[in-house]
Amino acid sequence: MADLRLLALHGLAVKSAATPDAVADLLGQSPEDVQQALEAAVAEGHAIGAKGRFMVTPGGRAWLDESYPQAFAAHRDDPGFTTAADKFERINRDLLALLTDWQSIPAGGERVPNTHTDPDYDRAILDRLGDLHDRAAKVLQRFTAAEPRLEAYVGRLDAAYDRALAGEADYVSGVRVDSYHVAWHELHEDLLRMLGRTREE
Amino acid sequence: MSTLTSDRVVPLDGSVSPGKDRLGGKADGIVRMRRLGLRVPSAFTIPVTECRRYHESGGRLDEETWQAVLDGLRWLERETGRRLGDPSAPLLVSVRSGAPVSMPGMMDTVLNLGITDEVEQALAGLSGDPDFARDTHTRFCAQFGKVVLGADVEDPRPGADADSLRAEVAEDSGREVPREPLDQLREAINAVFASWRSRRAITYRKHWGISDEGGTAVTVQAMVFGNLGEASGTGVFFTRDPLTGAPDPYGEWLPGGQGEDVVSGTHAVQTLADLAAQLPDVHAELLEAGRVLERENGDVQDIEFTVERGQLFLLQTRSAKRSPSAAVRTAVDFAEANLVDRATALQRVTPEQVASVLQPRLAPGAAEATEVLAHGEPACPGVAAGVAVGDSEAAEAAAGEGRAVILVRPTTSPEDISGMIAARAVVTELGGSTSHAAVVTRALGRPCVVGVGTGVTAGWSGRTVTIDATKGIVYAGRLPTEAVRAEDDPALSRLLEWAREASPVQVVEEMPEGSVDLDAAGVGLDPSAPPEPQHVVGLLTGASCARGVVIATPAGAGAVLEAGVPAVAAAPGQHPLVLLLHLLHAGSQRRATSAGDGA
Repeated sequence: MADLRLLALHGLAVKSAATPDAVADLLGQSPEDVQQALEAAVAEGHAIGAKGRFMVTPGGRAWLDESYPQAFAAHRDDPGFTTAADKFERINRDLLALLTDWQSIPAGGERVPNTHTDPDYDRAILDRLGDLHDRAAKVLQRFTAAEPRLEAYVGRLDAAYDRALAGEADYVSGVRVDSYHVAWHELHEDLLRMLGRTREE
Repeated sequence: MSTLTSDRVVPLDGSVSPGKDRLGGKADGIVRMRRLGLRVPSAFTIPVTECRRYHESGGRLDEETWQAVLDGLRWLERETGRRLGDPSAPLLVSVRSGAPVSMPGMMDTVLNLGITDEVEQALAGLSGDPDFARDTHTRFCAQFGKVVLGADVEDPRPGADADSLRAEVAEDSGREVPREPLDQLREAINAVFASWRSRRAITYRKHWGISDEGGTAVTVQAMVFGNLGEASGTGVFFTRDPLTGAPDPYGEWLPGGQGEDVVSGTHAVQTLADLAAQLPDVHAELLEAGRVLERENGDVQDIEFTVERGQLFLLQTRSAKRSPSAAVRTAVDFAEANLVDRATALQRVTPEQVASVLQPRLAPGAAEATEVLAHGEPACPGVAAGVAVGDSEAAEAAAGEGRAVILVRPTTSPEDISGMIAARAVVTELGGSTSHAAVVTRALGRPCVVGVGTGVTAGWSGRTVTIDATKGIVYAGRLPTEAVRAEDDPALSRLLEWAREASPVQVVEEMPEGSVDLDAAGVGLDPSAPPEPQHVVGLLTGASCARGVVIATPAGAGAVLEAGVPAVAAAPGQHPLVLLLHLLHAGSQRRATSAGDGA
């Protein structure tokens, strides 16, 4: 696993302007250690801090891009890991289609916003999300075996699905809570950065 | 009339009384349609009690129950004049779960049970379409494999044959798709009952306080085909126009289309007017069925139907999905026709739908003779203008100074979210309507156009642009928009009038003495950190009037009611109707909760 100097900045790049606590949650590390690492990054010019939040500087981004190939060489050279990442991309496409169905509904040849007033419609989508969550679990196992800190995402996805199933609709695709899509989107970004891949959409 | 002696199987012929608790939701729906005199494909159901017996016997279908199913099947064969597995007159059936309350985790549907190699050949002859027969067979194998056997197989490609699908299923799941129709039926029934105890269903019931003791029914229904013989086809019928809400029948008709198990793209879609020209009696019967179902269910219906040899079958009906303006219009129309009362009409329209109808739109003719900078795919509708900004930090900074900005990105990553929140609208070069950017902007309600093309936005930074995200167009400059006024729209003004009458809280123009301004107190301004409802109630108690953005949220409206505030004043950008609907919905929520507590 890469050292915390790199990881803390990596976590900050995934999360953007964030508190040390938020970055620590993302990485599954202790907030004190992350705080220290981010303060060191500020001293090196890789990050700036204001009002308790940190941000990566352009210099910090360049340093990250230089450091990634070596820091994550083991994953980049591991066919098991990269194949799992390919599978993740396929599941990602299915998830985005599913979330689109959650947010908007076909009606008369156009899509209209889902007002979440039809429980049967929503339950059917939660069922599909459950199937996808089970499919993803197999792929995530492959990731966490190689990079244990990714366990933090598994916990967030489990929690978001559970809350969605319990009727908290915002936990499917909401932006202001730690929804399934928020956790997934960050995991996706984390993987893309580790593997040096670019986003397809 | 039923000739069955066992109560372990119920024929859904209209002689039975409806009852979700025993028959489950799906069968209950079929019985209700039959009792209205409407034609649905023949079906019987294995009631919820048999699910309990299945689990009490340690996950085994009781032999007496199976014998009753075979009796039910013979009844179905007499009703349809066809027989399961008989190539000379093949009967195919669907098997579905049907709990009194539907829930995730239940095995849903398997179509086309009863198909075999011989039946496939027979269907090829009957339909004159060997491709259809083979596709029906392969899709059955894939669906049975996925749903019943838990195999992870892709949807079959056109042209695949059933044997290759069987092999794929066997390889992935270690189990075979049965070749015998009765084995197919028995395994599918077992799978429905077993799914009652799936992990997801158990979790769901725990969350919602639903007893594990209940169970699900299984409904077995004859398949009908819109491609067997002359005067056949399939379609969907909305009893009102789902985009405008106008009381005009709206729908699609596919002559020769198969019905429930449709493969897309093989038939040209026609309109209901074409159906009227080809099969006037069927068209008239369909419209009449729509009127009956609208009256019965008190809402706009979306009806799936199939015509087999000139005979109309209704497959499913449900409340139709509709655009925000159709939601407003149909709620008012139904109340004025006394199909629902005004309170129901007001509950049927969400504050978000009204806010969407009231969104400013481009003034008529404004876009003519204006330079179009880009076309893309609409991801979240709406209109907005502002200065294009190429990165999220700059967008946040500019928005912080009160400037209207449009965030323009090649793609969006999680670190762009704060910029998307700050921007009035978002444009991306890559991605379609199911990209991360599209999902995020829809969650935020920000107008968004995606996929305008690589490099297209180069040089936009600093320019003023107007986004019509409803059409997916980006214009140069600031185009004039016009506000929609509730007074100009007859349906909106009726709804506003009814909402004012029904609401216990008045919406006033000016804040009187003794008002509490929640915005000024800094309460609820940050939507990512909603205030404690009890804190808001405390601030509002004794106030003569309240104002604040937080009132247009379920929690804020609930606090106004709980504190007993007699009036609210609209904050900038808040429409009185949106506030009233929030208050009315919060009121019915409170009544539902207190009724639930009392039970």
